[in-house]
Amino acid sequence: MGKVLEKKRLKEFLSSVSKGAELIAPVKSDTLRFEIIKDFDDICLEGRPLFPVKKFFSPARHDIFKLNLADKNKAFEEVKNKIKPRVIFGGRLCDFNGLLRLDKLFLAKEFQDEYYKEAREKTLLIGINCVPAPSKYCFCESMNLDKYYDLFFHDLGDKYYIEAGSPKGESLILKLEDYDFSIPAIKCKKHLEKKDLSGFYDSPAWKDGSKKCLNCGKCTAHCTTCLCFDVIDEVDADLKKGKRFKEWDSCQFTNFTQVAGGFVFRKDYVAKFKHRIYHKLQYFRERFGMDMCTGCGRCIESCPRLIDFTETVNKLK
Amino acid sequence: MLSKSTPLKIVKKEKQADKTYLFRLEGSGKKKIKFDYKIGQFYQVSVPGIGEAPISVCSFSEDFLEFNIRGVGDVTDKLLELEVGDNIWIRGPYGTSYPLDKLKGNNIMIIGGGTGIAPLRGALKYLEMHRADFERVHIFFGCRSPEEVLFKKDMHHWDRIFDLNLTVDKAPANYKGKVGLVTKIVEESGLDNRNKVVLICGPPIMMKFVIKTLESMGFHYDQIFLSHERRMKCGVGMCGHCMISGIYVCKDGPVFRYDKILGMHE
Ligand SMILES: Cc1cc2nc3c(=O)[nH]c(=O)nc-3n(C[C@H](O)[C@H](O)[C@H](O)COP(=O)(O)OP(=O)(O)OC[C@H]3O[C@@H](n4cnc5c(N)ncnc54)[C@H](O)[C@@H]3O)c2cc1C
Ligand code: FES
Repeated sequence: MGKVLEKKRLKEFLSSVSKGAELIAPVKSDTLRFEIIKDFDDICLEGRPLFPVKKFFSPARHDIFKLNLADKNKAFEEVKNKIKPRVIFGGRLCDFNGLLRLDKLFLAKEFQDEYYKEAREKTLLIGINCVPAPSKYCFCESMNLDKYYDLFFHDLGDKYYIEAGSPKGESLILKLEDYDFSIPAIKCKKHLEKKDLSGFYDSPAWKDGSKKCLNCGKCTAHCTTCLCFDVIDEVDADLKKGKRFKEWDSCQFTNFTQVAGGFVFRKDYVAKFKHRIYHKLQYFRERFGMDMCTGCGRCIESCPRLIDFTETVNKLK
Repeated sequence: MLSKSTPLKIVKKEKQADKTYLFRLEGSGKKKIKFDYKIGQFYQVSVPGIGEAPISVCSFSEDFLEFNIRGVGDVTDKLLELEVGDNIWIRGPYGTSYPLDKLKGNNIMIIGGGTGIAPLRGALKYLEMHRADFERVHIFFGCRSPEEVLFKKDMHHWDRIFDLNLTVDKAPANYKGKVGLVTKIVEESGLDNRNKVVLICGPPIMMKFVIKTLESMGFHYDQIFLSHERRMKCGVGMCGHCMISGIYVCKDGPVFRYDKILGMHE
């Protein structure tokens, strides 16, 4: 059993749970995106934000070392992370399940990403259910998502039904009134047929699916779980100081696999398209037992040519 | 995420070929460093302000680390400008190694092309130090031209203690050594696959044809270990650059037993 909160008390509830923390929620500007909230009235829960929450866990560009080029023995200085506690409100199941995928990469046993780790520890996740599915591109129903959140809201018209998914979440709604309700599952128009892709590598469907591709990398930039990155050095004009930073990269860019002599391991559109989809639906599953896709449909919606990989995969026979 | 690089001091720098130098590195402070790297592993080597490049271990010693570096771009060209006394910044070692200690009792075939000879040099040092544990050691090295032959001093030494076969792709008419591709000298050796393990390192195209040759000589894929090269940024399985199929070359490799990576798609 969960709890209930009248909508008119939402502001009050959010300001209490986000006391001393940044509140992050969807805001409508040029498009719907997650932003740090300055005014509660900016929060917009209609629609699935086009950009996922990953930037709060691994920013598009982020310094890792300060470089002291003048001091031969102390060239590298770690940049201290300045991550404030935060509450994400209005995330979708696809968003939070995306974090479970990214945990596999950035919180691996041997090597961990400190920024990601700290951000994960300092973030409270409050989700909202997607009934009805917020975008025609959504297909999360096919992706077996987990109920992963600290708190989860479901819109009941003039009130929200709230369920806790963690002890932390539970402690935040203790004082709210009990309410008997069972959250309905998300229904999507679009579906992805689950299949073992290993036999389909040479299918002509991949070529059809990727022939409109512009290699712009928008699909990976908008993807909930894509976080491949580059590491780049930059030197200040005085040549004394500089920095080494991490920046999102994309397997859809040609230089992603370029090595000495100019050789590129994955050059054509088909090879890059296949790599993206095989990574999501096969390689990741083989390694971690789950797909690296949460069915958010952002890659389709953001694509300038509306390339829809679900159509390609569904066609494979 | 990326652990902080530490400085090592260049104590020796030796020209090997055009734009190719061998560097010997030791701890830069007063305290001696005990190195703990394995043959086939690599370090991420930094020039602060320029960037990082993966470079293979080219030595086998607790007291020092050697890199053979070929200048092909921003980082590697800058590394070549460094001199004895300067610092080189490294993090690592990363990746898998040639499992030499598990191969004892075998005949070893070492096949290298170009700068791919560098990591195999470490393997040869290991074999020399553990000579009694191994049967015969056959070396097949291919370089582009006589001037491009790396580790000339070592070559003389290896020729004395191992079965060394060296070839160059092209040479002037008066060149006394063998001319032709490395696959040719491997084939000419007439060796069979009995009680043998093969270690390969070289450009992708060379490795492909060497494996074909070995196959025709009766070798099985599980007798072959090779080292792959891919673009790398993190070296720790996060950035995605080095991925082939579902495999991270930086973490699951760079050294693979060939039968384990058969049928991989770029
Ligand atoms: C496991 C491993 C071991 C290696 N061992 C050695 C070694 O012992 N000695 C040696 O000289 N070289 C070695 N290399 C190759 C060396 O890392 C590249 O030559 C170097 O990274 C190129 O960087 P750059 O900044 O000098 O060139 P850039 O200016 O970045 O570019 C020059 C060319 O190199 C390509 N390139 C960029 N980054 C890489 C990369 N990480 N790997 C390969 N190509 C790249 C570029 O696409 C371009 O075509 C190794 C590579 C790997 C993956
Ligand atoms: S180099 Fe980054 S994942 Fe291998």
